[in-house]
Amino acid sequence: MISRVADHCFWFGRYIDRAESSARLLQATRSLVFDSDIPVTHCWQPLVIVSGEEAPFVERHGREALGNGELVQEYMTWNRENMVSLATSVRAARECARAIRDQLSLELWEEMNELYLWLGRETTETLYWENREEFYRHVRRGTQLILGLVRSTMLHGEPMRFLWLGVMLERGGQTARMLDMHHHTMMRENPHDIVRMALWMSLLRACSGAEGFMKKHQGRVSAQSMIEFVLFEPAFPRSIRYTLKAAAEQLGGIWGEPSHTSRARLASLIAWLDSQKTELEVAQIHAVLTQIVDEMAAICSRVAEEIQGPPRVPKASVGTPPPSQTQSQSA
Amino acid sequence: MCLVLQVVPNARNGVSTSYQPLAGTYDEMVQSDGSPRAHTKRIHALLDSTPAREFARYQSLAELSLYNQGVTFSVYSDKQGTEKIFPICLVPRVISAVEWAKVERGLVQRIRALNCFLDDMYGEQKILQQGIIPADLVLGAKQYETSLRGMKAPGGVRIPIAGIDLIRDPDGTFRVLEDNVRTPSGVSYVVENRLVTKRIFRENIEMSSVRSVEQYPLELAHTLRSVAPEGVSDVNMVVLTPGIYNSAYFEHSFLARHMGIDLVEPSDLFVDDDTVFVRTTHGPRRVHVIYRRIDDDYLDPKFFRPDSLLGVPGLMSAYARGRVTLANAPGNGCADDKAVYPFVPDMVKYYLGEEPSLAQVDTFVCAREDDKKYVLEHLEELVVKAVDEAGGYGMLMGPQSTAAQREEFRRRIIAEPRKYIAQHRIELSCCPTWDPARERLSPRRVDLRPFILTGPEGSWVLPGGLTRVALVEGSYVVNSSQGGGSKDTWVEREAIT
Repeated sequence: MISRVADHCFWFGRYIDRAESSARLLQATRSLVFDSDIPVTHCWQPLVIVSGEEAPFVERHGREALGNGELVQEYMTWNRENMVSLATSVRAARECARAIRDQLSLELWEEMNELYLWLGRETTETLYWENREEFYRHVRRGTQLILGLVRSTMLHGEPMRFLWLGVMLERGGQTARMLDMHHHTMMRENPHDIVRMALWMSLLRACSGAEGFMKKHQGRVSAQSMIEFVLFEPAFPRSIRYTLKAAAEQLGGIWGEPSHTSRARLASLIAWLDSQKTELEVAQIHAVLTQIVDEMAAICSRVAEEIQGPPRVPKASVGTPPPSQTQSQSA
Repeated sequence: MCLVLQVVPNARNGVSTSYQPLAGTYDEMVQSDGSPRAHTKRIHALLDSTPAREFARYQSLAELSLYNQGVTFSVYSDKQGTEKIFPICLVPRVISAVEWAKVERGLVQRIRALNCFLDDMYGEQKILQQGIIPADLVLGAKQYETSLRGMKAPGGVRIPIAGIDLIRDPDGTFRVLEDNVRTPSGVSYVVENRLVTKRIFRENIEMSSVRSVEQYPLELAHTLRSVAPEGVSDVNMVVLTPGIYNSAYFEHSFLARHMGIDLVEPSDLFVDDDTVFVRTTHGPRRVHVIYRRIDDDYLDPKFFRPDSLLGVPGLMSAYARGRVTLANAPGNGCADDKAVYPFVPDMVKYYLGEEPSLAQVDTFVCAREDDKKYVLEHLEELVVKAVDEAGGYGMLMGPQSTAAQREEFRRRIIAEPRKYIAQHRIELSCCPTWDPARERLSPRRVDLRPFILTGPEGSWVLPGGLTRVALVEGSYVVNSSQGGGSKDTWVEREAIT
């Protein structure tokens, strides 16, 4: 497929999933603030940090404001200069969708367009002020519908594979950052068991894993089991291992041959993650997560380069070069 | 029809009941006494039984559906990327089978003549040597590309896709107002408008007597394939768009999607050894046919505009060697130049040896001394147009103009007579159109842009075309950028005899 289109597909997937996880995280944090007995600042601050927005937020509103839930929500929902706000993500996703309009099914495009138009309406702003839960729920449902339509109405060919690759890499990265943040709060606060429990549950809720976790562990909650669930659980669709495996599957489908660097590095990352399982210590989790997040970023930039295809015309086969002639440009 | 007959007790209470045609114009729906024409009886009866409130609801449903589907155009000059829908009026414009057959013949004839003219202009230039058209009028125009002389179009077709603007005078005669043989747009609205009409009128009218328009993309794909360079078995075709900020981007993606071919931007293409390739994830892939929706100037910076960063360097060289087809051919602008338009009937006679079957509008060419004199003396009666402006800009509507505007145009015409033509204002035909302020139907002026596809084997005409309507009361300007809207155009299926 056309390189530019592949790139847009990849980013469309990332933006949509980013919008969904932001909405989910905002919702989970609101719930945490309500009754967890954790200082308000320590609820909202991590959310800003996870999003990589601490510096611009503090510059704009001051450090004090990290405890101001309304300001944080406003910034993470509406701010156009915040590159990861809900509004920015939805707008960027729609922009990508327009550029790849000919690749998307009509139903998929309509849902994308309606979500975008909905977010711009005055009545939506009113809803935001009057019923915050319903507002976040609407965003979640809109993005979930879009992701469902990707799987159920698009041809399962290269464009969908790139799109889903974007979804999975974004999702894995988000899970890793959230886990890291919660771990950090836990280490710093060293809170009471009840609070600790609330924090872990909040993490699970933010990645839609609370029910799945309980099914696996029948109510026995420990830091070790939580971390293992979020990192390794092969059946949990937002665990880091699951998203990496799913991303690897898409990459395999796109590039038949294993010569692409992105495929090789992703395979090594999965192998490395698996090797951590036996000796994982809660205290070392930050190092593990950092390694994962950095390596995922590196893989994403490899993908961006590989999308451009082999650079030169193979002189011998001017005409239609068969796909098998593909070579990695930096093998 | 049964449904319509059943609601007769409520009839004579609908949106069309009190409709009055505009005096001095031809009305597409009703005769001067307000009764329907032979081919509009069914739709008239339906409107007659549709109360205003219900019709208003249909209208808002239609607009919402277009908006939600992103059937929009971007507004030029707006950096925010504002998108607008091209407003639709649900009252269709209906054309009888007999009228349409005549229009269709005339369009095909006209395209044949224009194609001959272009071949001639970039070849021997016989018609100029014969003195039928003043040579400097064509060769001196900036739309004429001297450097293209000698290049042949694959399959001999320079105008695979044409859009010819027609208007209807008070006698009901269709006349050509303007030719578009470069990159005519609007066809996606024809297909989308029909879908909206079908969705909204579904329960109320059976449309089996209306000719379908949805086959356009397939016919277009067939046409593009038929003009591929010779000797290519597996033709790779693309639609070339300037990008998502172009006002017609919706249409570009619409056509690519419905033909199932790739939509590319200039940066996706490159040329190596006079062969065009598209960059793909699996390496370069050869391109044989480009349906380009980009102006000549931005096709190839090496050839047309060295200062331009846009375009595909080397594209014209590949074209010149016959390695790629550009649809439409570059350089076509000299055939749809407003200053050349008055000579199209002469082209039909000269190249085809036939009488033109489509009428057009008498035109004064200011480049001719006598014409210029007449125009300057009658500015308040005439419509003056700059030959290189489109979209309804650069126009003087004499009868509605102020003295200052006329003075401005007088000055401009004297300075650059070649740039101006003038015509008597034609009272465009009207069609009943939803008037939201009054909540009823009012007569509004319309034009028609049929689309003609041409391959080596001949032409195919999309039944109907884009009907544009001047939504503002009293307006003659139908352009989308200036308060125009559109209507579904129904061509009556031929009666079986």
